[in-house]
Amino acid sequence: MDKKTDSMKAEYINPFIESVRELFSTMLNSNAERGDVDVYWEVPPSSDIVALIGLSGPMRGTVALSFPVGTALSLVGRMLGVDVRVVDDTVRDGIAEVVNIVAGSAKGKLRKGMGAPIDLSLPTVVRGTDYQVGYPSRTAWLEVPFKSDLGAFSLRVTFEIPDDTGGA
Amino acid sequence: MKVLIVDDSAVMRKVLMDALKKSDITNVGEARDGEEAVRAVIEDSYDLVLMDWNMPKMSGIEAVLKIRGRGISVPIIIISTESEKARVLEALKAGANNYIVKPFTPEIIAAKIRETIKSIANK
Repeated sequence: MDKKTDSMKAEYINPFIESVRELFSTMLNSNAERGDVDVYWEVPPSSDIVALIGLSGPMRGTVALSFPVGTALSLVGRMLGVDVRVVDDTVRDGIAEVVNIVAGSAKGKLRKGMGAPIDLSLPTVVRGTDYQVGYPSRTAWLEVPFKSDLGAFSLRVTFEIPDDTGGA
Repeated sequence: MKVLIVDDSAVMRKVLMDALKKSDITNVGEARDGEEAVRAVIEDSYDLVLMDWNMPKMSGIEAVLKIRGRGISVPIIIISTESEKARVLEALKAGANNYIVKPFTPEIIAAKIRETIKSIANK
């Protein structure tokens, strides 16, 4: 990506970063500390629990939060105020809700200057890298690593902004 | 006070239940979608409903419209991840009494409940 594209992409990923931090401080009593943005053309293999949500409308793409198992268990445990030891439907439900809140909250921040509202799909939770995102194929995943007292995790966003909204 | 919590996420229902406990509200019913919520308020008497917006089967807004359509005036607070003014107005227009944006703290839940009860009492 050139500098102009980098700056544009940063403008669109920042609302997601802010939303992650807000969620952690508000509902998890935790501080999520971000690292540097990285770019991937393919998601590296892992055994993480990944929650995905699709964006459509003026911004089309996918938002994913990727949690190592330990982080996912600690996070859902903190939400529920109990010790959570196995990945079950409750953990998947909690992780889905987290990506739902992050995407919904970022949507409001992105709305400014985009005209029509962005639509969100229902969240999906998968394990590992056994998933494919068919669209948009020519754009990269932007990944932001986070550290917190609940463990490390990553925010990944891939999107395409059609020309008529003033984007790419 | 008896409160109905409506959310398709079991984790969020528990988070809301814990938030209510901090306000000493322990008489709580649960519904997993709008359809269950409508049935619950018809069959039982509640003092307040905390209703998620986005749910399968029947959304929170559809449930509010159905509940108001039956002439049931139970106070309803819509909970949503979306803070846009148009969304808030849509909820109020449908008949909701107040609006909470996720993420929230137990203190926000308590304050919104107080605000809602007070505003209804002042009408």
